[in-house]
Formats: sequence, structure tokens, C-alpha cells
Amino acid sequence: MPTYTIPYTALAAEASLEKKELMRAVETVLDSGRYVLGPEVKAFEQEFADHCQTEFAIGVASGTCALHLVLRSLGLNEGEEVITAPNSFIASASTIALAGAKPVFVDICKDGNLDPAKLEDAINDRTRGIVPVHLTGRPARMADILEIAGRHDLFVLEDAAQSLGASLDGKRVGSWGNAACFSLHPLKNLHAFGDGGMVTSRNPDLIAHLSKSRNHGLADREQCDFWGFNCRLDEMQAAMLRVQLRRLDDWTATRRTLALRYNDLLRPFVDVPDEGPGEHCVFQTYVIKAERRDELRIFLNENGVEALVHYATPIHLQPAAAELGYTAADFPETMDHVGKILSLPLYPMLTHSQQDRVAELISSFYQNN
Amino acid sequence: MRVKYSYLDEQFADVEAYFQDLRDLVSTGEFTLGPFVEAFEKKFAAYIGVKHAIGTNTGTGALILCLKAVGVKPGSEVITVANTFIASAGAIVAAGARPVFVDCDERYQIDVTKIEAAITSNTSAIMPVHWAGCSPKMGRVIEIADRHGIPVVEDSCPAVGARINGRSAGTFGRVNAFSMHPLKPLNVWGDGGIVVTNDDQAADFLRLYHNHGLVDRDHVEIWGVNERLQPVQAIVASRVLDTIEDLVEARIRNARRLDAGLKGLESYINPPYRPEGYREVFQLYLATATRRDELLSFLVSKGIEAKVHYPIPIHLQNAARDLNYKRGDFPMCELQADEIITLPAHQHITEEQIDYTVSIIREFYELSAT
Repeated sequence: MPTYTIPYTALAAEASLEKKELMRAVETVLDSGRYVLGPEVKAFEQEFADHCQTEFAIGVASGTCALHLVLRSLGLNEGEEVITAPNSFIASASTIALAGAKPVFVDICKDGNLDPAKLEDAINDRTRGIVPVHLTGRPARMADILEIAGRHDLFVLEDAAQSLGASLDGKRVGSWGNAACFSLHPLKNLHAFGDGGMVTSRNPDLIAHLSKSRNHGLADREQCDFWGFNCRLDEMQAAMLRVQLRRLDDWTATRRTLALRYNDLLRPFVDVPDEGPGEHCVFQTYVIKAERRDELRIFLNENGVEALVHYATPIHLQPAAAELGYTAADFPETMDHVGKILSLPLYPMLTHSQQDRVAELISSFYQNN
Repeated sequence: MRVKYSYLDEQFADVEAYFQDLRDLVSTGEFTLGPFVEAFEKKFAAYIGVKHAIGTNTGTGALILCLKAVGVKPGSEVITVANTFIASAGAIVAAGARPVFVDCDERYQIDVTKIEAAITSNTSAIMPVHWAGCSPKMGRVIEIADRHGIPVVEDSCPAVGARINGRSAGTFGRVNAFSMHPLKPLNVWGDGGIVVTNDDQAADFLRLYHNHGLVDRDHVEIWGVNERLQPVQAIVASRVLDTIEDLVEARIRNARRLDAGLKGLESYINPPYRPEGYREVFQLYLATATRRDELLSFLVSKGIEAKVHYPIPIHLQNAARDLNYKRGDFPMCELQADEIITLPAHQHITEEQIDYTVSIIREFYELSAT
């Protein structure tokens, strides 16, 4: 494996900055002897809900579990459909299949998120819900999506796995839909040191249901109200997450400053992720759209910059989705994205000189080729 | 004197070595699968004596994965017991199948004489539980299952270290599950589980399935789940595994002392029959007691944290109402639910604490006997 002078992530360096506080957080849990659903999870849930400007949050084992548990709570029947975007991480669709329904895809807009104008065509009498994805830290067009969903009486579950802290017209993701799911995977802006996820909602009944379904359906130690799962957020991860959450807004601000700086540096050469009207993006990934993307990627990698593609194969063309019967021609905007997108290194510790180096390389690639 | 049920503060009183490992982990940034998880999986497989071990996020997750791996299909039936933690049945439902219960025997294990009657053309697996860290008659279970061509999944969640004539729990069925919940013999600082198997095909499937079906970063072969063991927990598990034999031996010693102490009280309280060749790990030290609820209150009032695992059998839970069982269907299991008690007998209990427990039990019955 090549070593990169500008790697895609700096997780170890970031964690070193707060290692002492993190270890103290772990120690707090050890001293309490409470390893499962204790005070740290409870406190983190409230802090997380506050951060999302909503009422309730509930900690689960991963972003995937978050989606799965909420979809399960809908009691989906075989043959029923849930709509989502085809250019997301696989879990946005696999959880629909796992919950017993059929994933139905709708193409995206130029900004990479679900296109509300194409939603209506995909809705039929088997449709139960919509899972709009706030991809790469950019909010999906929630007002339009909610309006359509309301008209058809559909459940809206925000897949906010990549977008904690993003907002649209001043309203944060996680506070728009009937519920929202977040991932705390290590590559997320707020991350566990392992897996973790959250669900937010204003609906106390849903939250009460999830608090049981994540813990075997147990109402208390002895009584099991319904068949559930074991999908709990780890107490220890919650303790460490609370350390990070205190710093999140500062880190997000830095990330945004760097992303907007990238935009200015790279605008002459590639399509940059400008913010749309009313959007406040958190740039969990910084994604450009570039001509001759594969060559550019190799060129960057060979010159020490680790650039990645999220994601090279859209979900509807994965072998797992074969039986859904989609073809490459179904979603032209998605296919245009898939051929051009490139994720560049972006994290709070990225320096201006590192950014300048990335920009120089991209400039020289297009000028010399 | 206080006799605590949980011992985690004592077990993890000295955490410096763990913390050193955690600092190393933080320095690598390997927070998803990676070398720490792989190293633990190899070490655990070697300890149990199987080809493959795959870490999972929980014991429940491990069970669901096992059922998927042996081909349990939605709508089919899986045979298990009703005197277990809810997750044994919950995992069957999560896999889309229907739990079919059989009664237990006087050792609190699946009654092997009742399995055959529960088998139908729709049975897709038999899932015996090594309940409380004690093994059922696995040879007999396998013999019945083989005769009917049905795969066996061992729910060995509570039973790391349990053996029958030297052979580990988790090596009898086709694909088998362990839990590393904090109150299990091999425990972590939160949730964790492991699937073990000698079946290469099942292992290949599970490695894909437990990580979103991802062949590599870009290719998804099958719809999967996220059921990964956390590296943080793999580090803890790996250190605990280094001490597991001492830890289990200490539990066995304490259980033997408690057994001996209860001799002479047979008309009131009885640990189960313990046949030759079965190494129990005493994840729970169970006994059946007359006037159980009163005894429980008395023990607790004297500082002894006894518990009941569990007062409501699964077939009588609200969750099971659709399965249409009723009281009376599993008499042994139901009788035990009313009489069973769990006494503290873990590795950090002292001889004095055991003797104190025995003296309080004697006090309770002798006072009441007159």
C-alpha cells in the first residue's frame, strides 16, 4: 500500500489530540461498572437531540441498525415499497430489504441528493415511505419531499448518516422527517471509536418503541413486550462521543472553512460542491465532479494524495440488487455522478499548504494533459 | 456481609494493561474491523478448537447470523427451549422463522427426549442452549438432527469454556454462537459476540453478510447487515481470554463449595444433577428452592444479591402471544420458573462469602421449618 503525504483521513492524529479526555471517559464507565445502557448513553441521547434541534434521540449500535429499527417499526409487508436514492451507501437500501420491503430508487439532482421532481412517478399504492439521504453533508430538499409525502401519506425517514449539523433554511437535519437516522461510524464528523448510530424523532411513541426494540423488546428485566433486537449503543462509546460532541461545532466550522477554500481553489478546473440556497453543508465528504476522473485519481494517488470514490458502483447495479431488475439507463444523473465524483481529503487538521498542494496537482493535471 | 452479584469493578480493577492496548488502538485509527479484531478471532478459534471465528456486535447478532448461515428461511420453524434469555427466541423471529419450544430437563437443559416430537417438515434448525453455562446432551441432539437432516445451531452464548468430555461448546453444531456481554464468562466492556464454525462456506458467507455484503469497499455481493465486533471490545476480549481458564476454574471451585454447603438441605434447595464429563462454567449458579420468593427477599435483606433467571418463561411473554402457547405446555420449564434461584458464585466470591450465603440459607429454612 502506498503511503500518502496527504492521506484521506487523519483519525489517529485527531484522536491523539483528545486521548486524555477519551481515556478519562472510558475510566468513568469502568468505575461505574455500568457497561450497557447506563447514564452516559442517556446523557448523550439528550445532548444529541438538542444538537439536532429536536425532542428525542435514541442510541443504537450503528447507522445501519438505526435505519433497520425504524423501518421495522413501520411493520412493512412483503411487496410494499420504500423509496431511496441509488447513489448512497449500501445500507440505505439494504435496510429496506432487511425490514421486508422492496427498495425503489429515484434519480438524484445535480447536487447529488434525491430529486423531488422525480419522486411522484415512483409512488404507487404499495409505497409506504421515503428515505431521503443527506449525502456528503448536504441536506436533501426536505420541504419539497415532505410536501409530496404528506400528500400521499408516506413516512419520511431522513438518512442523515453523513450530515449531523447540516441545515436547510436554518432547520437542522434530523428535525424534518417523522424520524432521522445518524451514523457514528469512524469516518463520520462525530464518530465512535467503532460503530454507533442514533435515531431522532419528535414522536414519543416511536421513541418508546425503539427503546424496547433495540433491547430485545424488553419493557424491564423480566417482561418482553414484542420480539426485538440487540442494537444498543455502547455505554463506553457514548462516554467518548460526549467528549467529541463538545468539540463538534468548532470542528464543523473548520471543515466548512476548508471546504469553501477548496471550492475557490478548484473552481477553475472541476465542478465544486457549492452550497445551494438555504443550505448549510457540513462536508462529511468533500466531493468534486471531474472530467477524466479515473486518470485524475491515479495522478493524485501517485503524487501522494489519497483520493477516493464514494461510491463507484451505484446500489441499483450491485449484484445484491440484481433481482430488482434495474439497468444503468434508469438513472442518468446518478450515472453521470458515478463517472465523475471524486472525494478529496478534508478534515479539521488539514493545513492550507496541504490544500494548496492538492489544488496545484489538479491544476497541473488539467494544464499538462 | 455483602455478597454482590456483579463483579465487574473487581475484575477490571487494574486496567492499565487494557488502557495501553486502547492507546495503541487510538494511535492506529483502526476503528472498524482490522488487525485487532482479526487477531482476537484467530485466538478465540484456537481456544475453542474450530477453523473460523467471526466477531459480531452482540450475542444476539451472532445467533441471527448462525441461523442465516445454516439456511433458516422465513416461515420455517426453529426448535429451542423456553427457559432461556429472550434473545434465543428473538433471534429466531429476527431471522424470519417461528420459534418452536420444547421443555427442559431437570438440569435446566433441552429435554432431548422431547425434540423428535417437535420436528415437522418445516423445521429448518434445532438450536439447543447451553443454559447457564452448562451443556445439554449434545451427542443426542446431533444424533436426532442428523437422522432428520436438520442443521444444529448451538446457542452457546453463556458458555465460553464449557466442555463435554474435553470438547468445547460451540464445536458440535454446524454454526454456533457465543456472547461476550459483561455478565458472561468471557466478557467485554459493552456488547460483543462471536460466531464459530468449521464450515468454510458458512464462514465465507458470514464474513460478507456481517459487513453489509461488501466484497471490498466498492462491491456488494448480497444484502447484508452491520454486525461487526468493535475493535475496542476485541482488545478487551483478547486480554480476558488470556485468563479464561483461571477464571472458569475459580468459578468451578466456588460452585463446588456452594454445592457442598447445600448438602443436607435437599428437601428445601437443590442444585441440579451434575453428570461426569460435563464441565460447567457457571455463568449462572442455579438451584431450585421451595418458597423461592421468600428466600429471595430474605437473601437480599441479608446483603446477598440473589436473582431469578427468569421468572417468566418465553412462551408466556407478551411477545410470544402470536405463537399460541399456554401455561401448562412446558411443565418442567414452568415449575422451574417458579422455583429457580440464582446465587452469586462468580470468580471474585470468597470462601467466606459462600459460607455466609449457605448460613443465611440454612437460617431461612431452619427458622421456617419449626
